[in-house]
Amino acid sequence: MSADHVPVRRYRPPAPLGGRRRATGSQSGRNAKALLFLTPALIILGLFVVWPMISALRLSFTDASGFGREEWVGLENYVKVFTDSDVFDAVTNTALYTVLFTPTAVIAALGLALLLNSPHMPFRSFFRTALFVPFTISFAVAAFAWSYLIDPQVGLLNYWLRGMGVQMGNVLEDPQLAMPAVAFVAVWKLFGFYFVIFLAGLQDIPSSLYEAARIDGAGPWARLRRITLPLLSNTMAFVLIFATIAALQTFDQIYVMTGGGPYGHTQTVVMEIYESGFRKLDIGFASALSYVLLIATLILSLVQFVFFGRREKDLS
Amino acid sequence: MTRTRILTGVAATLALMAAGCSGGGEDDGPVELTFWHGYSEADGDVLEEIVADFNASQDDITINTELKTWASIDDTLLTALSAGEGPGLVAMPAERLPVYASKGAFASLDDFYADESSNTANLVPGAVAMEEVEGEKFGVPSGFVPLAVYYNTALFDAAGVTEFPQTWDEWVSASKQLTVDEDGDGTPEQYGVVLPDHATVANGLWPSLFYGNGGDIVDGGTAVIDSPENAETLEFWSSAINADQISPTGIDGIGADELFSGGKAAMTVGGPWMASIAAENEIDYAIAPLPAGPAAQAASAIGISMAVTVDTSDAEQAAAEEFLAYFLNEENSVKWSLGSGWPPLRTDIPADAVAENPTVAALTEISATGRPLLPGVVNSVDVLTAIDELTQRAVAGEDVATLLAEAQAEIQTALDD
Repeated sequence: MSADHVPVRRYRPPAPLGGRRRATGSQSGRNAKALLFLTPALIILGLFVVWPMISALRLSFTDASGFGREEWVGLENYVKVFTDSDVFDAVTNTALYTVLFTPTAVIAALGLALLLNSPHMPFRSFFRTALFVPFTISFAVAAFAWSYLIDPQVGLLNYWLRGMGVQMGNVLEDPQLAMPAVAFVAVWKLFGFYFVIFLAGLQDIPSSLYEAARIDGAGPWARLRRITLPLLSNTMAFVLIFATIAALQTFDQIYVMTGGGPYGHTQTVVMEIYESGFRKLDIGFASALSYVLLIATLILSLVQFVFFGRREKDLS
Repeated sequence: MTRTRILTGVAATLALMAAGCSGGGEDDGPVELTFWHGYSEADGDVLEEIVADFNASQDDITINTELKTWASIDDTLLTALSAGEGPGLVAMPAERLPVYASKGAFASLDDFYADESSNTANLVPGAVAMEEVEGEKFGVPSGFVPLAVYYNTALFDAAGVTEFPQTWDEWVSASKQLTVDEDGDGTPEQYGVVLPDHATVANGLWPSLFYGNGGDIVDGGTAVIDSPENAETLEFWSSAINADQISPTGIDGIGADELFSGGKAAMTVGGPWMASIAAENEIDYAIAPLPAGPAAQAASAIGISMAVTVDTSDAEQAAAEEFLAYFLNEENSVKWSLGSGWPPLRTDIPADAVAENPTVAALTEISATGRPLLPGVVNSVDVLTAIDELTQRAVAGEDVATLLAEAQAEIQTALDD
């Protein structure tokens, strides 16, 4: 009796798209395996990113110096961040740097990507590689190289310019020119990366769109405005956010080239964090300033993300 | 099986990381002490010799030196100490000592100084002043030397300057005589003197000039930079630099060294390292004290301090102190001075003991004019930045009275901080 029933009960109609139970089983197994493979990376991230972030948050509420005693000071460090005149100057300098760096780097990268995306361009591969090379060298090396190039006594660039009758002077000691100079080095060093991202974005745009536009009589300018730029907005958002973050976090070439000088004209927020932490040994204040910078960066990225996201929605 | 293997891998990784994080255990052998320093030239060789002699002289203590650049000592000491991996003994520029001491990084050496066998009784008082923070001593000097003028004797001969200037006016007029603008384009090819207006040696040069006219920067925890004496000093030198073009502008200490070593400046202001730079570049040089100002003959001194860190146990601190006493004994003081080119740190060492090294002999003669730079000032970073801004903008021709008032406010804020 029961033997008759068993096969019927056992019968289950096949679930759509394969056996559900089996799928679930292997999925969780795969998740577990993936997690295991990720574990080393997660441990490293946890130890070297998450844990320091949590520690820094705690330190930002203390008067820690990194050793010896530390006392809880509540919001004192944060109050100082918003009232200290040095921080205000550093924020102004960082804003100036961002305005100098971000548009220049992004426009240069986009322009050259458009130029080198054209199949008619001779030596395309050579130029693409050449433009990317600066990105692969270390920032400190680039900064040292440029310091020597523009040195008023021994610099090659100065020597050539002098031959053409142009006096460049001591750029890094000039309060008006020092910031543009360090921003220029960052543009030179970083724009290769943005350039490659733009190039990839351009190659994602189907050529059929351009052909159709051409048949409809659209000129190069119309094609750029109506097809290229709109379809690049995702890439643009990515590049802009990256460039802005790079600008807000700038440190290396300034540390090497000017050390924040001449008299504080290139002292950015991260230089201020470094000076507070490692020169004045005020780790608590440096941590608080780091957190304020982190939150400011997040907000700015979010604004850009929403702005470009909306533009893309409008377009689709 | 695979999962077990992965888990084993993860566990092994973790174990390795844990092993990497933990420090080595202590054993019962001699007390080992790490000593960070930045002496990389002939001075480094002599220091190694003194350390080796010390290690060989007894069985209880072994000092292991670690050579780093001065800048990297400053950059890594904080992280090393906070990780409990710091050195037991560290040498650093003396003006950096107060900030570390005030944050509790160094052990107090008051008892050490009180001990007669520490060989500290006859140390140059100015050098000891740089080790004090709020009345407590946290370091022992390993170097103290007033800034001096290093001059190119060949250029002096060529210009017919036979006597080294003794006063500011003579200094300016000799500098004018030594300044050469061959092509008449308004930019001299050779400067009489190079007076850096910011960073490194400029941080000592301008205070020296202020002292020379009876001015000062900080007095007993109060900013005193905004004084008529200092205004006069700035105006005097700014005019000599701009109107008489005796020195280029916008130069820091490193740029000054380059100009002098390239034979493009007849005089530079610096420390004992200029002797080796001049020798390397085959420049015949002589050393003279900074010409006297209207009020005083004074020069800011460059100091290096050695301190015992809080990472040490009682036994390690005792060991460090034993080494410091050994370093400061009469024989080693002479050896260190002759080898490093810095004047003796002890006042009871007779001049003829170091006569065989002409640089040391010349510097020893002017040693008494040396004044410590910002002794006991914890926030020397901001004070020196304020001086940098003041001198750079004054030399660029901005209004001295306004600049001094600004510097006064900034320095007072830094002192109150």
